[in-house]
Amino acid sequence: MFKFILKRIGIAIPTLLILIIFSFTLMHSAPGGPFTSERKLPEQVLANIEAKYGLDQPYYKQLTNYVVGIVTKGDFGPSFRYKDRSVNDVIAQGFPVTLKYGIWSFIVAVSVGVSLGIVAAINHNSVFDYLAVGFTIGAQVLPNFVMAPILVIIFTLWLGWLPGGGWNGGQWQYLIMPVIALSTSYMASIARIMRSSMLEVLNSNFIRTAKAKGLSNRQIIFKHALKPALLPVISYLGPTFVLMITGSVVIDIYFSTGGIGREFVNAALNRDYSVIMGITILMGILTITFNMVVDILYAWIDPKIRY
Amino acid sequence: MMVIGSKKITQMAQNMANYEQGKSHSLWVDARRRFFKNKAALISLIVLTLIVIFSFGAPYVTPWSNEEIDWSILGSINEKGMPSIASKHYFGTDDLGRDLFARVAQGTQISLMVGFVGAFIAVIVGTLYGAVAGYFGGRIDSVMMRIVDILMSIPYMFVLILLLVVFGRSIIMLFVGLGLISWLDMSRIVRGQTMVIKNKEFIEAAIAGGSNHLTIITRHIIPNLLGIVIVYASLLVPLMILTESFISFLGLGVQEPNTSWGALISDGAKTVLYERLWQLFIPLAFFVAGLFSFFFIGDGLRDALDPKDR
Amino acid sequence: MKSITKILTAVLIGSTFLVAPVLAAKVPAGTNLTADQTFTYRVGDEHSSVDPQIVEDVSGSELVRDLFEGLLNQDALGNLIPGVAESWEASNGNQTYTFKLRKDAKWSNGDAVTANDFVYAWQRLADPETASAYAWYMEIMSLENAKAIIAGEKEPSELGVSAPDDYTLVVNLTAPLPYFAAMTTHASTFPSPQKVIEEFGNEWTRPENIVSNGAYVLTEHVPNERSVRERNTMYWNDAETVINKVTALVINEESTALTRYLAGELDRTEIPAGEYPRLKKEYPDQAISFPRLCSYYYSFNVSDSGPEAFKDERVRQALSYALDRNVVTEQVLKGGQFPAFTFTPGTTANFDAPDVAFGQITQAERDAKAKELMVEAGYGADNPLKFELLYNTNEDHKKVATVAAQMWKQKLGIEATLVNQEWKVFLEVRGKQDFDLARGGWCGDYNEASTFLDLMTTPSGYNDGKYSNAELDKLMTDAKTADDPSANYTRVEEIMAEEMPIIPVYHYTGVYMMSEGIIGSWPVKNVEQNWYSRDLYKVE
Repeated sequence: MFKFILKRIGIAIPTLLILIIFSFTLMHSAPGGPFTSERKLPEQVLANIEAKYGLDQPYYKQLTNYVVGIVTKGDFGPSFRYKDRSVNDVIAQGFPVTLKYGIWSFIVAVSVGVSLGIVAAINHNSVFDYLAVGFTIGAQVLPNFVMAPILVIIFTLWLGWLPGGGWNGGQWQYLIMPVIALSTSYMASIARIMRSSMLEVLNSNFIRTAKAKGLSNRQIIFKHALKPALLPVISYLGPTFVLMITGSVVIDIYFSTGGIGREFVNAALNRDYSVIMGITILMGILTITFNMVVDILYAWIDPKIRY
Repeated sequence: MMVIGSKKITQMAQNMANYEQGKSHSLWVDARRRFFKNKAALISLIVLTLIVIFSFGAPYVTPWSNEEIDWSILGSINEKGMPSIASKHYFGTDDLGRDLFARVAQGTQISLMVGFVGAFIAVIVGTLYGAVAGYFGGRIDSVMMRIVDILMSIPYMFVLILLLVVFGRSIIMLFVGLGLISWLDMSRIVRGQTMVIKNKEFIEAAIAGGSNHLTIITRHIIPNLLGIVIVYASLLVPLMILTESFISFLGLGVQEPNTSWGALISDGAKTVLYERLWQLFIPLAFFVAGLFSFFFIGDGLRDALDPKDR
Repeated sequence: MKSITKILTAVLIGSTFLVAPVLAAKVPAGTNLTADQTFTYRVGDEHSSVDPQIVEDVSGSELVRDLFEGLLNQDALGNLIPGVAESWEASNGNQTYTFKLRKDAKWSNGDAVTANDFVYAWQRLADPETASAYAWYMEIMSLENAKAIIAGEKEPSELGVSAPDDYTLVVNLTAPLPYFAAMTTHASTFPSPQKVIEEFGNEWTRPENIVSNGAYVLTEHVPNERSVRERNTMYWNDAETVINKVTALVINEESTALTRYLAGELDRTEIPAGEYPRLKKEYPDQAISFPRLCSYYYSFNVSDSGPEAFKDERVRQALSYALDRNVVTEQVLKGGQFPAFTFTPGTTANFDAPDVAFGQITQAERDAKAKELMVEAGYGADNPLKFELLYNTNEDHKKVATVAAQMWKQKLGIEATLVNQEWKVFLEVRGKQDFDLARGGWCGDYNEASTFLDLMTTPSGYNDGKYSNAELDKLMTDAKTADDPSANYTRVEEIMAEEMPIIPVYHYTGVYMMSEGIIGSWPVKNVEQNWYSRDLYKVE
């Protein structure tokens, strides 16, 4: 197991490097620089600004300086658009927001999805089961950018229960709608997978043996069926988490949470090179780490798999 | 957004491979029979066919094009823009007085095309890549799969946005971008499957018979992968469509005056407050129906082709 | 709304401008103020900065106007009134301006605001080290040596501004500029606290560090979510400030902002295109529309890289004639916008909008003329005109462009392809003459026609279409020193109506929902929309 972890970390570093180089190159080939503005800068002023941010140096030098800066000082550089903040500031402010509602959405999606799937499987072909299947499929295809404005209309305008947006430090009233909007479609996916996986396990031979042996339903489900049934669900958690973080762009836009997804899109549109790079790298690290955790979890549950 | 059941497909693929020996022909016949017995899949197939017919036939039914503005309605959409037979706007109009019937039809064409072409690219690239890796094994396989691992760790949505922002928006770019992202999983599955097939006797026979690598890969291995490829592809199509809808929401998708399901829905969602509900619900209905159908068909195919079905 | 020129003509003789009554929130007698004097409004996007010499966007400028105060302010009608400067006089044929500062102006940390603060700020604006995107403003203010300093050829200390004593500011210009005083209401010219900037560097604008001299201090800033400013008790006119706290909430989607406004979370938000009539009917006391000093237009690329067709004046005229502006303003935008036949809005101070020929006839007549022109120019069904219409990504621009393209198609058989790009790319592409017909939107930097018409001169850096007309250039140059330039401006607009280098589409209006409490005190007559929170108040 330990060797496995080491190997994965070993791969992670070249992966990150490739990611950095790729994104950096891509960004610099984009038309429009961070200082293109309508009130056009006179040549000289533009040259001054670019010199100040080191944009006039050759590509290799910029890239190297950048990587060195990260590795030695953890400094992702200044933001080009927000003159009084650095990339670290941008990330430090936006990332905890995304992380908070992201984690909550994740917890909600997994717990509700898994429970729903198990109950539906146990009560196969009942009314509940059909409702559950209907819900899962419906919710899976409903995009969150449709759900979000409707949620605001219902909960803020009509009912007046919840504030229409903002973050305010992450108090619970501001979390509810973002979490609902973000978690729903994944909840449905997870429920669906859980249900079909549970059904399969419940019909397998070893469960039949357990039943024949006279074990109670509860024991069967929780002690014997659950673990193997969870396997397919776990292998989805990695991509699910990543998708959630990317889907958070919509949440940020509609609920004005100030999260990192929105910052990224803004940075891309504003050609704010350093913010783009910073967030991409952050996301890369997250993705790699999370995938690794999931793989470890998977291996721990299923003793047949050993790397 | 949804995730695809790659583990289940791998399982199915293994079942198929083991079943393969000697009974290749009747598997397909069996599968077809099972598929048509699956009510949900059958209905979905019909629904999908209807949608396709609608999208291509609609232009003949309506006098409006997808970009023509109805000047008489333009200033008063709330009052006159609702679906009505009289005004010949069967689905109503959008905020600029353009006929929604024609726009939904055109949007359906684009969305379906995005789905199919994206899935197609993913399938071609993924299958070839995975088959080659699995067949040659050893060092080549190691390197090729490492590359896949690395690529899988890239937060692809961000890259897609970057691509669209850097290279400008066009349908081509969208296809390329979507295709580039989605072949990775497929290549893994195909590679695993190829390795299983590779060890079967009939491959040994072919090698002994003097066929070269390319022939073996194309003539023996790939046909046996068809099953999983089909199933995965059918599950990939809705994923492509969903991704496109997200990209459209960001404003990076299809360009005016053309539209897509995603663009129509995201525009419609914004006008719900102004009581123009038809602008959301009609395209949404198509969107949901289309995706539903792909789901059920994909599931149906998977169930039909898996010999170990309960 | 009266002419600055008239006042400044008097100044030319060298007399001192009299002290005008100091104004902040002038609450009419008998008004019932609410207990809760807070103002919450929506901004569409995060602002660029609150550093006066760095800020470059509208929402940032709104913040800066509340946090800082410059030499002069504008009243509710847009007239110049004293700010930190109590009085000013022009001498030397409008080439030297002397400002006398008040002695009781303070920074929020208790320090006095002196003329040196302005010298520091203006030098900083021009300093290449600051790398301000608005450094060019110093140049058009015509300060001595500004150009050289920006180019790095001279030291910032050589800028034509000095403080002979703590409360006197002397400005030396390279050329006479009658409307110089009006230019000091612009945020870029506001003073900045040297000590604080030197201590904290780039982080001086953080709420915990910032020191400002305006009616408010920045107390909270969460990027992409909100910023909050609260009463600055050190402000010299604090006694007249009514609003205690101003919150700007960042809400990207217009429709969501409207939803939240209706739910009572906001005091002000923009009304989405097309919704004004309906909202006005339902909420007559909250929906409002008033003129603004901005112009919406399409630019022809008449440079060498532009399409051949656009070099033909008849084609340009035809496109302009066939565009039904009434449809755009009354059926698409519906916000009371003014169809435009001139580039400069009619509400601009000291501007007599000429009755240009094509604005006087009916749309049907214009359409007929357009058809004729196209045929004359050699385009028709067998030879359709094709080009690309470029605009920056935005719902409203998309609507206008779609409608325009359809009009041209139906009336003239033209195939206009719509191309949209996000802001940065759009600016770059347009700036390089890499377009056929591109959207433009220009808001005046100061209330005088030259802020618009200078764009049409040959050397202008914003003349993206590269239009060039020698007579126009001469008229604009002469206007700078003329006693009454309005005749020049009128003639320039007439030339533009003949040669049609741009298609004027409409002149902006501000279309907002404002809560009943705040709407009474809003300066709706200030076309530049330089509003100050200290002039607002909330009623029951």
